[in-house]
Parts: sequence; C-alpha cells; structure tokens
Amino acid sequence: MTWTPTQDVIEVQRGPDPGGLGGAYRAFGETLRGLKTVLGRLVEGPVTLEYPEDKTPVYPRFRGRHKLHRFEDTGLEKCVGCSLCAAACPAECIRVVAAENTPDNQVSAGERYAAVYEINMTRCIFCGYCEMACPFDAITMGNDYELADYTRSDLIFTKEMLLADPVERTPLRSEGE
Amino acid sequence: MAPPAERFVTFEIDGREVSAPEGSMLVDAAKYGDVEIPVFCYEPKLGQPVGACRMCLVEIEGIPKLQTACSTAVKDGMVVVTTSDRVKSAQNAIVEFLLVNHPLDCPVCDKGGECPLQDISFGWGAGRSRFIEPKRHFKKPIELSPLVAIDRERCILCYRCVRFSQEIAEDYQLVFLDRADHTYVGTHDGRPYVGPFSGNIVELCPVGALTSTAYRFRARPWDIEGSGTICTLCPSQCNVELTVRDDNTVLRALARDNVDVDDGWLCDKGRFGYEVTSARERITEPMVRDAGALRPVSWELAMEEAVRGLDRAGERTAALVGGQATNEEGFLLQFLMRSVLGSPHVDSRRGGALDPEQALALARPDLSAAVADLDTAGAVLVVGTELVDEAPILDLRVRKAVRRRHVPLVVATSRPSSLDPNAAAVLRYAPGADEAVLGALVAQLVGGDGERAKTRAGRASLHEAAEQLGMRRPPADADWSKLAGASADDVREAAGALRGSGPIVVIWGERLSHGERGRQAVGALLALARALGLNTGDGSGMIEIPTGANGRGLREVGCLPNLGPGLAAVEPPGLTAPEIAGALGDSLASLILFQADPLRTHPDRAAWERGLDRAGFVLAFSDFITESVGRFADVVLPAESYAEKEGTVTHPDGRLQRVRQAIGRPGEVRAQTEVLLELITELSGAPFSAQPAQLTRLMTDTVPFYRGLTLDEIGGRGLRWQDTDAAGQLPQTPLPEMELEPPPEPPEGLRLGVAPSLWAAPETDHAASLRFLAPRQQAELSAEDAGRLGIGSGDEIEVAVNGTSVRARAALRTAVPPGSVFLIEGTNDENATALTNGASRAVEVRKA
Repeated sequence: MTWTPTQDVIEVQRGPDPGGLGGAYRAFGETLRGLKTVLGRLVEGPVTLEYPEDKTPVYPRFRGRHKLHRFEDTGLEKCVGCSLCAAACPAECIRVVAAENTPDNQVSAGERYAAVYEINMTRCIFCGYCEMACPFDAITMGNDYELADYTRSDLIFTKEMLLADPVERTPLRSEGE
Repeated sequence: MAPPAERFVTFEIDGREVSAPEGSMLVDAAKYGDVEIPVFCYEPKLGQPVGACRMCLVEIEGIPKLQTACSTAVKDGMVVVTTSDRVKSAQNAIVEFLLVNHPLDCPVCDKGGECPLQDISFGWGAGRSRFIEPKRHFKKPIELSPLVAIDRERCILCYRCVRFSQEIAEDYQLVFLDRADHTYVGTHDGRPYVGPFSGNIVELCPVGALTSTAYRFRARPWDIEGSGTICTLCPSQCNVELTVRDDNTVLRALARDNVDVDDGWLCDKGRFGYEVTSARERITEPMVRDAGALRPVSWELAMEEAVRGLDRAGERTAALVGGQATNEEGFLLQFLMRSVLGSPHVDSRRGGALDPEQALALARPDLSAAVADLDTAGAVLVVGTELVDEAPILDLRVRKAVRRRHVPLVVATSRPSSLDPNAAAVLRYAPGADEAVLGALVAQLVGGDGERAKTRAGRASLHEAAEQLGMRRPPADADWSKLAGASADDVREAAGALRGSGPIVVIWGERLSHGERGRQAVGALLALARALGLNTGDGSGMIEIPTGANGRGLREVGCLPNLGPGLAAVEPPGLTAPEIAGALGDSLASLILFQADPLRTHPDRAAWERGLDRAGFVLAFSDFITESVGRFADVVLPAESYAEKEGTVTHPDGRLQRVRQAIGRPGEVRAQTEVLLELITELSGAPFSAQPAQLTRLMTDTVPFYRGLTLDEIGGRGLRWQDTDAAGQLPQTPLPEMELEPPPEPPEGLRLGVAPSLWAAPETDHAASLRFLAPRQQAELSAEDAGRLGIGSGDEIEVAVNGTSVRARAALRTAVPPGSVFLIEGTNDENATALTNGASRAVEVRKA
C-alpha cells in the first residue's frame, strides 16, 4: 500500500492572523508583563556572591577539610596512631604509621603516636567516617572546602598540615540562620 | 607405627546429634557440630588443658554445675547445652570479670583488631560495663626480655605463656608471682626471659599483654597482609607467615602451624631474623672490585665482568653453595658448572665427600623417618648434633615425645646437650670420636656386653647374632668404648634403652660425616641402623640434620662434587670443599660463592684465606658484605633474601616445601635464578630462559625421585617425596655393609670439639632485635682440666694448635667431660674454624 503524507494529518490548528487589536496586544502587553518581573527583581538586589571575595557560609556540621587536634593543656597530640580512621575510611585515603613514645620524645598522651599521618585529599569523599571512628576525638572534619591546588602531590596532607590551625577562610552560618 | 585410629562417639549439643572423636575435649568436639565455644586458655599444643579462664562453661545434662568444655572429654550420649540462659549469664559474667581490671586501651594496644578478648567480649559479653571503680594498675610496659614487652594490666592470667615456658620450651623461667588480683607473670628474680623460643609466647597470648618489641606499633591488622613461605634460616624449615606492609617490608613472622614440620612453634631466630630483609647494610646493587675496593656498578657492567671472569677460568672454576639456596638455584648452578663451564667442582657440604653408595642408602625411603614419626616413636636417639642450636624446632619435638609419652631418649653427643635432663641415657664421648661411639653401640647391640668375644663359642654366637641382623660380621673385637672416650656403662645403658622399644627414630648430625673418617662414621651409622632394625619397622628411621638449611635439597639436585641430580654418581668426581680451598690458585682459577661464606662456616679457615687470596676471580652472590665477600670477591651480585625467593626447598625428612615471594626485591636486586639463567645464556651462547614454575618442573623432571611432583601438589604444606610414586625411582641399593674396623687411636691431650650456636649466624649481625644475642667466643672446659691448668671461670684464655690460636673466655661446665674443650663455630671473630681441619685434634689451652 502506498503511503501518502496527507494520511497522517488529522487536524491543523492555527493561531489568529496577525494584525488588528489582538496582534498589537500580543506584541506589547506580554513584553511589558515580562519587564514588570525583571524590574521587580532589580529592586530586590543581587542574590549571587562575589566568590572568592565573598563566600557562602556553611552549616556547623558541614564536613570539610580535616583537622587534627592537640590537648589544650599539655599540647600533646590527641592522636595515638591507632589507625582506626584508616580502617573506617571507605576511600582508603588515610595512611598512619605509628611509633612509640619515649620519655625524651613524648608526642601523644598514650604509649604510641602517629609518626606519619597522611590524608590524600584527592581521594577523600568527605564522608566523616574517620571522625566517627576516632576513639580520642583527635580528628574532626573542619569547615574549609577550598582545597584546590596545582599538583596532586600537594593534596596529600601531612600530619603537620592537619595539626596546624587552618586559616579560617570559610564563614560559618550562625545559629538559626 | 601409625597413630591409632580414632573412634567416634555420638553426643547431643544444642539439640543436635553430633559425632566426634572419642576422648576429644568438648570444645573441639563441638566444632564437629559447628558450635563455637569461646576459650582463652585452651590450646591443645600446650598439652593438658588447665581450665584457668572459665570462658568455656557449658551445661551438661546430669551435672548440676556448669562445666568447663575445654577440660571435659566428650562421652557417648552426653547432652550439652551452650545457649541456655544459665550458660549465657555465666559467659557474660566471665567476660565482665576479665574486663574488670583490663585497661581497655585497645586503640593503643598492638593486639587490637586481632584480639580474642575483643572478639569474645563482642560475641559473648554483655555489651555494657557496670564497673565504675578504679582499676588495678601496674607499671607498663616493661621489658620481659629485649624481644618481648609485657603489659601486666592487660593480662587475663590464662596461663598460656607460663605453660609454654614450663612444658614446651622447658626453660622453666616464666612463673606466676604474687596472689589474687595482684598476680602477674614474671621470671623468678626479674631476670630477662631469654631463651631460644621466647618469641612464641607473643603469638600465644590471647590479649595484648605480651607484645613483640620488634613489631610494637608497626602496623594494625588491617594495614598488613600475610604471606606464607618457609623460613630458610636453619634446617628445620618451619612454615612461617610473614606479615607484610605496603608490599615491601616484612614486619613480623608468625607460625603457620604445620604439624608435619614445626608443630606451630618458631625459634627466635626465625621469628625475629626477618629483620635482615630490610637491614640497612644489605647489598642492593651489583658491585665490582675496583682498585681494591668494591664499588657499585650497573647490572650490565657487573654481568659483563662476571661472564669474562668465568669464561676465562672455564673448567677451572669451582663453586660453593650455601644452605640458603633453593633447589632451583642449586640445580641451575650445578648445571652452569657441569654443562656450561665443564667443571664438576661444586659442593654444598663443608667437610669432604659423601660416599655415593652411602648417600643412596641414606636416602632410602624405609630408612628415613618423618618429623611426625617422633610423635609415635618407641625410642629416640640423638647422635652428634645439638638440636637446639642446629634445628631448634626438632628439639621441641623431641621434648614433646619425652614429656607426653615418656619415650626413652638417648643422647649421644660429645658436648653436653640441652636434652640431657630429658634423656633416659646419656652417652658422652670425646670430640671427633663419632665413628667409635657408633661402633661401640653396634658392638653392644650385637654382642651384648663384650665378654662374649673372649671365648670361641662366644665369638660364634656373635657371628650368628650379626647374621640375624643381616650383617656379614660383627664389629671387630676392640675396646670401642675406650676408643670413643666413653664409659662402657654409658654404652650399655644407651643400648639397653634402645633395645626392643619399638620403632626408633635416629636424629644425627651431618657433622659426623665430615672429615677424613667421615665415610667410616657413616658406615658405622648404617650398621647401627641395621642393628636397630630401622629399615624394617614402619615409623622408624633416621633424620639427618644438615649443616645448611637446605642441605638435603642441594644434595639431591646435584650440588655435590661426586653426585649429580638425583644422587647419580658423577665420573670423574670433582673436588670437595676442603680440596677446593687447597686447589685454588693451582688447578682452580676462579670460585663462585653462592650465598656461601667459607671464612665463617667452613673448617680450616687458614686454608680458605690462602685459597681465596690466590683465586684469580671470585664471583659472589651475597646479601651482605661478609668477610669472604668483602676481602676477596671481585664481582658481587646482590642476593635475594628468603622473603623474596620463589622456589622449593627440601626438609631433612624429604618434604619438599615451597618458598614463596612475600615482598618486592629491594633496590637493584634481581631473582637469582634469572641471573643464573643469564649467565648460562651468556656463557653457552644458547638463549635460555624460564619462569620459576618452569624451573621447578625442569628440576623435578631431572631428579628421578622428584619426578611428577608439581607445585600444586606440594602446596602450602609440602609433600614428602618418599610418600609419592616417584620414590620408586630412587636407585635401589642394599644397605652397604662396611666391616667395622676400630678407628685409629685418638690423639693425646685436650681434644677440641666445636659447638654450633644458633646465634653465631649472620642474623645476629644484621637483625637489630637479635644483635644482643651475638655470642662471644668462649671455651667450655671441665672444672678438672681448668683446675689443672690454673684457669678460672671467665678468664681470658688461648686455645692453640700448631701455632694458630683462638682467644676465648673460659666457661667451666661441670657436664663437660675431662679431656674435651669446646669452641663456638661461626662467631664473627675468633672463630673456632681457625683450629678445625676435619680431623680429631688435640689442642693446647693456656691463659692469655
């Protein structure tokens, strides 16, 4: 059976013909309605931020760059190098090599300390399991999310980097905000 | 004698009918029904259960109180409940009780993650603590020994370590001190717990109370991988599991528990000797001697030099193979020597040739006992070897046979042995008189007390007795015991202990076959084997303790001057090691040292010094700059450690075992088989290459009685070739008969014997943890001789023969018989090998 294109066409709907009053309304009336919305937002002011000069504040439980902590009174590291964070880490980005404290070199409060503590930030998925696994609250997730760098090796954070007070660049959202 | 067949009984556990071997403890029997009963103190390897921890309480129908499953044997029709509320509350209570004083410092504790206390608290504990009172405190951690640290707070007093020390190692050092909750494990007066097996208590401890100093805080269980291999540091060839971190560092060695080899124990050398694999002073790149000093070079250059040196020497090359070499390496090396260079001078023994006929006889399957035969033997004879120093794990095995089954043990050694206190009879003889003492035993076993030989009728009956044993003639009529320097009563007692006691296992040291009278000594040993009927009974036989870890394997793959692969006689025979030393510089131009250090291990040090000096070219495969290498090697190729090798080794009882690569090779180190193949290719001009598995195949195909053994069959537990069909391929030889003629009269004066030492080895030089054990040369003397010479204990003395002397510290031992003096073999300096030359020697001892 030969196919003729007209067989598929059931009905053709068409708009009104241009011209006349209806045409004039469609040209100006609808445009003015759109302009009203635009001008209305203009009065409200901008909602975007001038990143990186201005930053979005984060919530207190936001999981950003990790921090290692020291005891405030003694200055000893809280981390005892137990490696539980490395065990919990689903991305396997934490590496801990422990060593024994000696009286001359007391680094942490327990018998052992982390001689090497590295987090590979290129792999980290910021799940926070390390923080949950830590029996001494030695590692916590900070607020910093600006972690970009030029080389991959710079993104392996060492113990010294994690222990140092991070430059608090990220504003925190205040309570109830 | 096969172990008696097990009978099974049926009992009910948790409502299920289960059948288990009769007499087994409920803990083990429950496993047949897939029921797990938690235990801390129960460890069948340690002997009788003690029921100390109370963790295994179960309810048994008909008994009002809960019973310990670890010390209750299963009986027919027993009804056991392990899941009732009563049992549960008891288990909760025990866990709570054990945790009362436990510090719960799991994040810091080395055991965390592989700790039975953690697992059982999690599985059977109540899950919450009610304890708020202060805990008991001890000072921690304390060094129990330089190798083991003890944390007494963590101890749950399970008795395992104490039982090990008391009943397995039998050093009786560890005890429980004080009472009640202040009980602690310690030594009598706080002395360090040092012994050849001390490291085992670390593995036994079910909590983190005993930790290894070397492994302390190095890794957590999830950081590491286990890699099974064989420890090739001594002939015991224990099965070990090396703990590897980051694929490149061995952090620990654990036992792999093979009842046919090691029974699950390790000596401290095996347990801590792994440190040599990552020692800083290890050779990791090839070196070539340049202007008198070894200088690191590229592989290309070193191989070029090696090929040039060997090519120039050609058939005037000799090779020494060290005991750490695998069968494949030995096989390739003898191939390189015999087929490529055309030189038969390859030796893995230290003290002269082994007679081909005797070698075949010693290899006979009916004459060789398996290690497990010690568990069923009727009597054990240890001849001419100090097991604790030469094959420590067999020492434990002999102790086990004596302790558990009261097997009569006869110790026949010239030096007082650590097994003496366990022995039913001790036969002490003069150093070097092995042949005479074996002859004395044969004469005693054949002829009774020697009086018979004095009459004609007596002699006739002697002949008859000898013939009944299949001997052509009884041993010659001589005062054997006097020639041996032993008392006739001791000989009689020893023979009496052995006679008619069932299957006998003889453990003998390869050393007695060394030297000029070695052939006669082995002849006497074979006569003894005949007199004891070792070739008739199932479960009896001999185990030879070689001087090198893989001595048996190297012999069987052809690393002997007169025997090729499969113990096939080679014509004309090559030079033996002592002959090589003399011929270097004359008929021999170059020497290959394959993981061998003749200056340290081989007798007659002066001859080796002279020989190495005169050798035109010395190629060494070595992992450390040993004295021989440092002073004389022209080209040094870095050797692999046992943790990096791939291949097979043969246990003294004929068990082939696989050595597996556990870690990556450090630095520039290459597989030695690969290097040997490259040498073969370069020197023969024909390209030759093979993968490790192909090499094993090649080796097993060439040795007739290894034929058909595959790596899969050998597997992780090893396979004795005597138990396979291939054993029939060993050429059948009758027991060679040598008429026992009395040996020549021994020299007059103080006779020198060597004392092998477990710690006089490279491991104590390069493993940091073991360094404190490196022995200083000492001369063991009887008090009588010392008194005559005016020497006091601890004096500096000189032991001298023909102008050569060794300085030593005098050690007076009451057990040393007068007329003998013993020096340690293989020490770093003042080595006893300076005075030995394979013959029985009299020495002069004087104050230095």
